[in-house]
Amino acid sequence: MIVAAALCPAPPLLVPELTGAQEVAPGLRDACLASVAELMAATPDAVAVVGAADRTGTWSDGAAFDLARYAPGPVRGGQAGKANKVPGALPSSLGVGAWLLGHAGASARRILLAVGADEPVSRCAAIGAELAVESGRVALLVMADGSARRGLRAPGYLDGRSAGFDAEVESAVRAGQLDRLLEVDQVLARELMAAGRPAWQVLAGALAGRKVSSEIRYCDDPFGVAYLVASLRVEPEGAADE
Amino acid sequence: MREQSVLRLGKHSFGPRRLLLMAIVNRTPDSFFRPGDTWDEQTAMDRVHQVAAEGADIVDIGGVPAAPGSEVDAGEEIGRTAGFIAAVRSAYPELVISTDTWRHDVAREACAAGADLINDSWGGWDDKLAEVAAEAEAALVCSHAGGQAPRTRPHRVSYDDVVADVIARTRTLADRAVAAGVDPARIVIDPAHDFGKNTWHSLEVTRRLPELTATGWPVLVSLSNKDFVGETLDVPLDGRLAGTLAATSVSAWLGARIFRAHHVAETRQVLDMVSAIRGDTPPARTVRGLA
Repeated sequence: MIVAAALCPAPPLLVPELTGAQEVAPGLRDACLASVAELMAATPDAVAVVGAADRTGTWSDGAAFDLARYAPGPVRGGQAGKANKVPGALPSSLGVGAWLLGHAGASARRILLAVGADEPVSRCAAIGAELAVESGRVALLVMADGSARRGLRAPGYLDGRSAGFDAEVESAVRAGQLDRLLEVDQVLARELMAAGRPAWQVLAGALAGRKVSSEIRYCDDPFGVAYLVASLRVEPEGAADE
Repeated sequence: MREQSVLRLGKHSFGPRRLLLMAIVNRTPDSFFRPGDTWDEQTAMDRVHQVAAEGADIVDIGGVPAAPGSEVDAGEEIGRTAGFIAAVRSAYPELVISTDTWRHDVAREACAAGADLINDSWGGWDDKLAEVAAEAEAALVCSHAGGQAPRTRPHRVSYDDVVADVIARTRTLADRAVAAGVDPARIVIDPAHDFGKNTWHSLEVTRRLPELTATGWPVLVSLSNKDFVGETLDVPLDGRLAGTLAATSVSAWLGARIFRAHHVAETRQVLDMVSAIRGDTPPARTVRGLA
């Protein structure tokens, strides 16, 4: 049973070792960590981290984020680059999620679930539904980014459609109407470089029929990518019908 | 490890110890550094006069910015560059002219107009480029852009080993060029700092440059005012000269042979200084303690 959920973006820059001597986006990191703290306050037996990747699959509980893939070299918070290879390194969405959990001191068992970037909405929702029937108390950490085409300096340059696209996602999350995430168009999401689309739809599938309220903790695009951080509070199962 | 050997550009031959300066001349209204500075044809020709006087060995003429932005199709790119290349060729018969393009049809027109070198920063995106270089008996730069499409920015790119990836890609392109008939003495490799790379990757490539020179192919580095310099020093575009020159001198020391630059006079001095420190060229004038 899913007892709580959090939505975070997955930029590698959340990991301070990757951003050099100066602090980058501390407000974003704080918001993500606050959402993870709230998730852990629900005392889950397991945390399911869901994020988009090249293909669908699960990763072992102990898999970690391989920082050397992003920041090779001898100086990176004292870690060695080449000598520090992580076997079976996680895709970045799950890696950043695992990093957030580690940084927050979360000790619950982890389910690390990658969802293929090309999975259709029906498959994403089905993956979510499978998570919903996991035994025990499961917290859901959904790693999902909006469009990376939100300005002239954005990774994907400006696409004028991105503002409306991300606003719709934010509005659905803000209203707790996660079903609306199932309507996010797969082709448009790809064109807008919105990597979070499959993960949003897993979230919608996982909480289908549940009453959800939300707190938006961060919503901005300081580097041209839409970052949305939210805590999703789920009423106990059955409560929605009463 | 293969030894570095003679590089042929146009009618010239350059030995392995010679440090070559490639001056950037943009025929664009919107390149990242000083946008529109040489958009006007006369201003662009004035820039060629200036960089030739400041010691450029090569001029690199481009018609499309690397960053994303308004579409420039091949016809427009040819219009911006081919006629200008012809004008530069006639004004400077001895200067090596490079065409900065990833498109084979543009490269063909550029070579017909007098270009000696095809500078493809986008990692062989257009696989007909090598054939054009072979046909025109031109030189070719084989670069690593991490598989990214032209005019796209890196977004969360990561590598098992960025230097291994650079070597694998540039070697493949160089081998392909030789197979297509390009003279092996006219092939150059370029790790392409910032292209398909974050700042850490570009620093690593710089640090491990000797692994690239060990391939035997001459290495070109394009460092000038790039984001990896800006991010390393936390300086805006107009504050990147010192960092660029530092990276230039380290790269020269580590074996790079061609240096693509905006600041020609300063870069020439750095390269001449490195040459003198290495003992490849004598100092300009020495009287200190000698009188």
